[in-house]
Parts: sequence; structure tokens; C-alpha cells
Amino acid sequence: MSDTSTATSTGAGVSSGPTLLSLKGVRAAYGQVRVLHGIDLDVHEGEVVVVLGANGAGKTTTMRAICGMVGTAGSITLDGKELVGRKPADVARMGVAHVPQGRGTFADLSVDDNLQLGAFVRKDKEVRADIDRWYEVFPVLGERRTQQAGTLSGGEQQMLAVARALMGRPRLLLLDEPSLGLAPMIVQDVFRRLDTVKAELGTTMLIVEQNANLALGIADRGYVIEAGHIVLSGTADDLQSDDAVRAAYLGY
Amino acid sequence: MSLLTVTQGTTAHKVYRWLPWALFVLVVISVPFWAVHTPSFSVGDSNFTFSLGNLNHAVAYMVGVLGLGLLVGYNGQISLGNSFFMGIGGYLTATLVVDNEWPYLLTLVVVLPVCFVVGMLVGLPALRIKGLYLALTTLGLAAVFPSIVRMDQLRDRTGGANGKRISADLEAPDWLPLEDIAEFLSGIPLIGDWMFGDGRLGGRDADDVWVFILLALLATAAFWVSRNLIYSRPGRSIIAVRDNETGAAVNGVNVPMTKTLTFGVSAALGGLSGTMYAMAIGFVAPDVFGINLAIFLIVGLVVGGVGTLSGAVIGGLVIVFVPHWASQIESVPVVPERYLRGPTGTFFLGVLLIILTFFLPGGIVYGWRKIRARLVTVRPAGHAASGEEVELAEGDSAGGLLSRGQDVLDVDDEEEHGEPVSAPAQATNQGEPT
Amino acid sequence: MELFLARLFDGLSAGATYAVIAVALVLIYKATTLINFAQGELAMLGSFFVYIFAVEQDMPIYVAVVAGMIVSALLAAGIERVLIRPFDPADHLPLVIITLGLFLVINAAAGMIWGFDPRRFPRVFPSGDAWTMGIARLRWYTVGTLVTVLVLLVLLTLLLKKTKIGLAFRAVSSNLESSGLVGVRAGPTLQFGWMLATAVGTLAGALFVADPFRQLDPLWAQRVLIFAAAAAVLGGLDSLWGALAGGLILGFIESMVVGYVDWIPSQMGLAAAVVAIIIVLLIRPNGLFGTRTVERV
Repeated sequence: MSDTSTATSTGAGVSSGPTLLSLKGVRAAYGQVRVLHGIDLDVHEGEVVVVLGANGAGKTTTMRAICGMVGTAGSITLDGKELVGRKPADVARMGVAHVPQGRGTFADLSVDDNLQLGAFVRKDKEVRADIDRWYEVFPVLGERRTQQAGTLSGGEQQMLAVARALMGRPRLLLLDEPSLGLAPMIVQDVFRRLDTVKAELGTTMLIVEQNANLALGIADRGYVIEAGHIVLSGTADDLQSDDAVRAAYLGY
Repeated sequence: MSLLTVTQGTTAHKVYRWLPWALFVLVVISVPFWAVHTPSFSVGDSNFTFSLGNLNHAVAYMVGVLGLGLLVGYNGQISLGNSFFMGIGGYLTATLVVDNEWPYLLTLVVVLPVCFVVGMLVGLPALRIKGLYLALTTLGLAAVFPSIVRMDQLRDRTGGANGKRISADLEAPDWLPLEDIAEFLSGIPLIGDWMFGDGRLGGRDADDVWVFILLALLATAAFWVSRNLIYSRPGRSIIAVRDNETGAAVNGVNVPMTKTLTFGVSAALGGLSGTMYAMAIGFVAPDVFGINLAIFLIVGLVVGGVGTLSGAVIGGLVIVFVPHWASQIESVPVVPERYLRGPTGTFFLGVLLIILTFFLPGGIVYGWRKIRARLVTVRPAGHAASGEEVELAEGDSAGGLLSRGQDVLDVDDEEEHGEPVSAPAQATNQGEPT
Repeated sequence: MELFLARLFDGLSAGATYAVIAVALVLIYKATTLINFAQGELAMLGSFFVYIFAVEQDMPIYVAVVAGMIVSALLAAGIERVLIRPFDPADHLPLVIITLGLFLVINAAAGMIWGFDPRRFPRVFPSGDAWTMGIARLRWYTVGTLVTVLVLLVLLTLLLKKTKIGLAFRAVSSNLESSGLVGVRAGPTLQFGWMLATAVGTLAGALFVADPFRQLDPLWAQRVLIFAAAAAVLGGLDSLWGALAGGLILGFIESMVVGYVDWIPSQMGLAAAVVAIIIVLLIRPNGLFGTRTVERV
């Protein structure tokens, strides 16, 4: 792909509130291997931002860098507060909920335990009420509430993971490849649900995806990452109509 | 950062590679003549000795650590029971020498195959039991050995709880000019007198030196065989199994065969070590080969460096001399005397392990390699120094503190601020013998 | 029949004490997926603390036990903070070596400080028999130990299932990475695990040496560790109740095998234990009650 973008660069766009998350010059490495070479990226309050890229481009690493799961240099701020150097548990306590690649389910704990863990950082008394509400939204989870979470199907675990993340009433929801390993119909269902969450809760989301079509469908803005660099950014519409993006990621 | 840059293929490089070996050989030849006079040094009230007996003991243990290291470090099987095979070797040698009047070295003809076979048999259930469970089971095996030896049915042969004293002596052969060598060494200007005394070998001294020579030769053989094994095709299979069993299998390695054979070789080395112990100390007892020895072997392996061969040399020395010198501490300010009568050796070994894990997680050999890599850079022949080269170690380095990726990123920062960064942050030292 | 009962009661007695120590091992294993070599020695140290409180400070025995548990738990908290926390919990090798080092240090220190002469440990349970039938004697000691173990297990199960810290503990044990993502701090949670396991270990130690037939010396934990580990493995390393089962089974095997099979000398109880583990692991690599989690990728 070319370095020059035909899409507009980020700036004031759709539904933008103040900047919630800001990455500047972020580099990350696993041991001796450098993966990110200077990422700049912003997410505004209330937005859904998507990061597209092929396998190995650095999408997951970006997520892990935000959460402090990988050696990181540069600046990552949430509401102006620096995240780089913090441990994952501390980042979570600041209001960032991360649904990792592969769901990260607590497989041998019950569904109910998983949801309770989602609310671990909360100190209020409405946790049980929230859990019951999720059981209404996802009846399947309600039916299996005492079962080991590892026995759920892939799609069910994805719902559980999203519910778990939202139980914490986070400021920012990070989703790492929600479509991975799921059948196409399930994936569509997942994104439909995410759209509902966006509409009803207004949660700010940063989604990393290989499946560009569905992701751009619910996003406001997007970035494209290749080999550890951001090569393109723009509104979702702009990206969807960009020729290079269409050729490389949308398949037409 | 480095003091010296050496290009592969040049004479300088050859000197760099072989000089340590030459020095090592020199040390090995001269050290018995020094130790035979039991040199000592004093710190405060305490007098710390270094006798030939200690040295022989250490050499015997080196081979035991080597055997353990082969299985754990190079093959990835967490088997901790090598002391069991040392016990077999020690007792077999003891009974054959005392009851059947065999010469010491001949007993190896029995010890090595027996241990190899028993090792392979133990290796069979090890195929199914892995990791932590294997560690516990093999520790259990090591713990059981003293009980087996104490069994009444075997009493005649083993001496039961009292152990067995081996009365046969190893006498230095007449044709070996030990006295001449001793004289020569003491004649060396400046250090001769001080290190080697008056050059005379009284009474049993010559025999003790002879024992050392035999043990050193046996140890050299053991290390040489191990080295060749590791650097050969079967050796690569062994290491491949450690790193990725499925990958190895898919590439045609017969994993069960490799694992059981490695168990066998490791056990044979253990048996050899036991025989060497019998030669060095002349006495075997049940508790010598129990769980304490198993744990000490692990300590020796870790201190020396898991996944290295030369680490075993250091390991053997450490597990003999730390307890020995600890027992010779006369007084320490503040600490009551009776504390010092207790198991101080074990105490210091434990402290050593903890300190090493913080500062030198790979063991002493890795620490040495890192220092060496910072001082000397080896450049491959014909290439200009290239950008980041990744250090290839012979095995895994033990874990360590968080975020090692941070090192790489810090290097980046230097580049951006205009400071020249010496091209390879770590040198490649492929195929180094140590 | 009498002989059988006699053997049974012996096995029960030994088994119960193996079980309590095994529970401590399982607690640490659940939190860290490590077998902590130092746990046995910490229990031994704890038993010496209890001895000091009960005999040298003249406290009533039950108070002394509780005090010993508290002091040893605080020590464990310190150990976790200083020696364990600096390391990545996912990287096992340095942690295993540190616990090995701790094992050696504590083992040696106890020997250095208190010497190896055995000491009389005060009684925790009334002496004498609760029930006899001929030569078979069920001692109060055995009954007391069993009841204590059962109560302990119930309390621990409640703690783990119903409290927030218990949930955190189970989360770290189930999925270390995800637990961080939901805001569970691994360090303090593990520290809690260490404290709990050490307190349980001290209780186990006090019970063990309170046996009228035993005495207190720095080596008891070393002798028992392999049995306790075997019990934990038999029952499944992540199952607390499995540890109880494993301990009891092992106790029975030891007393039955040694009792009934003539040609095996009594020292071979240990060997019997090792053989038992090997056989069980060959058939059920996760132990009898260890959980094999169902994972859908």
C-alpha cells in the first residue's frame, strides 16, 4: 500500500467529544523484536474507532501497549493521564476494559463468576442488578450462569467477554479481533450487538479487526496499520471509499 | 562499548578462542601440586582451607551436575533424581572393590551400563509424566535411595546404615614422574616457592595427586563425550525436543527414543560421578546419596548455569567449597557461636541461589559470557558490522525481570538523540566451547 | 478385624496430617501453579513459633497456635513482597529457584538457631483414646486432627467461593492475564495466597508435632514434605478436598502396605508412596480430582 492517503487525516470528525485516548510516538517490542515503530492515534469520547491491518501488522500489540502488557516507549494518555509504565491492573482501574484476542475467558470459573470479575473494580451495590440485566439481554448466559465458562461456544464466550468488559462500566472499551475464530453468522451477530451497545450506552470503543467490512460498518473513524506504522486514517466513510483500502482489506 | 573487536578467521580470533582452554589446562595440571599442601587463607578468626581431598570431591560432583544438566538443561526434562544414580555408582564400586577385589576403574564396566539401563527404565514412565509431576516423582526417587540401601536384605553388600569403607588404595604408578613435576613447579621464579612449597611429595601425597589425575581424566572424558553429543546430530535432536516437542516430532525426531536415551546417558554420568566419589572419598554411606545431594546438584546446576556445560565445573566447585568454607567460619560479629555450628553451608547456598536469581539469573557462566560479550566483539568474516544482532545463547537464559523489550527501546532512544550506538548490542558467539 | 482397624486408625492419623500440609501446598499451587519448596519449611518455622509462644512465653496452646499462624503469615507476606513480587508471575523458573533457595535458608536457619535436639511439644488435643476395640485404638488426637482438617476445608472453601478476595484468588489461578485486565492486582492477591498458605501450614505443623508420639525438631518438614507433595499430587494439585483424599489414601497405603506385606521394611513407606504416585499419574495425569478444564478456542 502506498504511504500517501487519499482519505482525510484525523481531526474533528463525526460525533467527537473531547479526546479520551491519545497515543503519541508509541513504540513497542517483545524481547528483542520491535513491533511498533511510532504510532499516533486518537480516540474521542463517544466514538467508535477501528484499527485495521493484516496479521502481524501490530494491531494486537497496540492494544497490549495501551494496557501495559508489553514493553512500551512513547506516550499513551487517558483523559490526560499517562498510561505507559503502568501495570494492566492499574490501567483497568482507570476505566479501560480490554477484551483480549481469544476472549480471555476465565474458563474454569462459572459464567456468573466471570461477570462478577468484570465488576471487580466497582465499589457500588448495583453489581447484581447489572448482572441480571445482562442475563436478560443474553438469555443464553442466564441459562448457563453456573456452568464453567469454558464450556460455552465461541460466540457465547464472545458475548460473555463483552458483557464482562461492560460490567466494569468502563470509560473505554478495547476489543481485540472480536471476529477471530467465529463463524460468519456469529460474527455478524456480535457486531450487531456492539452497534446496540454503541447506540444505547454510548461507550467509547477502540476495535482492532481484520474483518474490515463489519468493523467499518459500526465505526466513526478508522486507522490502517502496516508493519508497525499507521499508514492511513480517516472517517469510516472515507476509508470505505478509499481505493487502496478497498483493494487490500475490503476485497473489491 | 567493547574494548576489542576480533574478526572471525583471523589469528587473533583463534587466540581468543583457544587461549582460555590453554589456560584452563595449565591450571588443571598445576593445581594438584598446589592443593596437596592444603593452602589456606584467613579472614578474621577463620582459617579457610583448600585441600586436594576437597578438590577431588568437587571433581566427582562436577560430573553429577553435568549429568543433571544434560537432562534438564539440554533436554528439558525436569528430572531431579540424579543422586539416585550417583548412589548406584558409588555403592556398586564400593562392593566390587571391597568384596570382589576389582580395581576401581574396572568397576566402570559394570556401573556405566547398569546405570544407563536403569536410567532408560526410569525414563519410560517419564514420557508420560511431565513437568512438575516429573520433578516431584524423581525427587521422591532420590529420597528413597537411602532407604533402599538400608534394607536388611542388602546389608551384607552395602554395610547398611553404617556405610562401607573402601580399603583399597589407589597408588601412583612408578613410571609417572610426579616428583619431577613437583620440583619443576616449585622452581618457577617468583611464585614457585609460595605456591608449590618445596617441591617434595611426601608419603601419601603422590597417591592423592594420582587420584586427582585419574578423576580429572575421567571428568574430561565425561565433558568431552557430552560436548560431542550436544554438538552432533543426536544432540540437536535432544535440544530440539527441549524447545518444541511437537515441532521436533514433525521434523522426524523420534521423541520417545531421544528422551529415554538422554535419561540413560544422564544416569550413566551420574553413575560415573558416584564411582568417582568412591575413589575420592573412600567411603559410601546411605545419607550421602539422599535428597540432600539431589538438592545440592540442582543448586550446582543453577549456580553454574542451566543449559551450559562449563557451568557444571563451577557447580561442582560451589557445592563442595561453600559448605566446606562455611563450616570453617569461626566467628561472625553479632551472631552467636552455636549458630555457626549448625548447617551454615546449606544456609549460604540458599542465600547464593536467591542472590543469583536477582542478579545473574542465567548462572555464573551466563554472567561471564555477558561480560565477555561487552569486552570483545566478534565480527563475522567479510561483513561490515551490521545493525542489531541477536545474541544466540546455547540454551534458554533463565527468566528475569519484567519488560526485557525495554532494553531494545532504550537503545532506540540513544539513536534518536544522536549518540552513536555501537552496532551489535550483543555479540554473536556461536559455537563457543564454554 | 482388630488388626485391620488398628492399621486403619494409624493410617487415618498419619493421613490427616499429610492432608493438612498438602492443603497448604495446594493453596500455593492454585495461586501460582508452582510447587513451593519453601512451604514445608515455613510450616516448620511456624511450628517453632507456636512452641516459643506456648512453652517459652507460657501462652495457652490454642492462643499460641493462633499467634504462631499470624506471625508466620506476616513473615510470608514479607517474603512475597521482597523476594517474589519483583518477578513476572508467569515466568516460573526464577520463582522455583527462589523458593528452593528459601527452602535451604529456612531449613538451615532453624537448625542453626534451635539445634537438632528434639523437644516436647505441648498437647493440642486430650491424650488417650476416643474409642478402642482390643488393640485398635482411635486416639483423641486422630479425631481432633480430622475434625480440624474438615473445619479448615469448609472455611477455606467458603473463603474462596464467597468472598471478593477469594474470587480474585481464583481469577489469578484461572487466567493470570485476564485477571489483570479486570483490575485484579496479581501481587497483593498472591501475597494473600502466601499468607493463607503459610498460616494453614503453621496450623498443620502444630497439629503434626502435637502428636504424642512425635517431637519437635527442625527436620520434620523435610521428612514429611514428600508425603504431603505426594498427597497433593494424588488428589490433584488444584483441588483442596482432593488433598484431603490424597492424604488419607496415602496414610492408608503406608500403614496397610507396611503392616501387611512382610518383606517390605518399615522404611519403605516412603517408597510405597512414590510408587503410588507414579501409578496414579500414569493413569490419571491430573491426579484423582484435579480439574481438566474444558476449553473452546
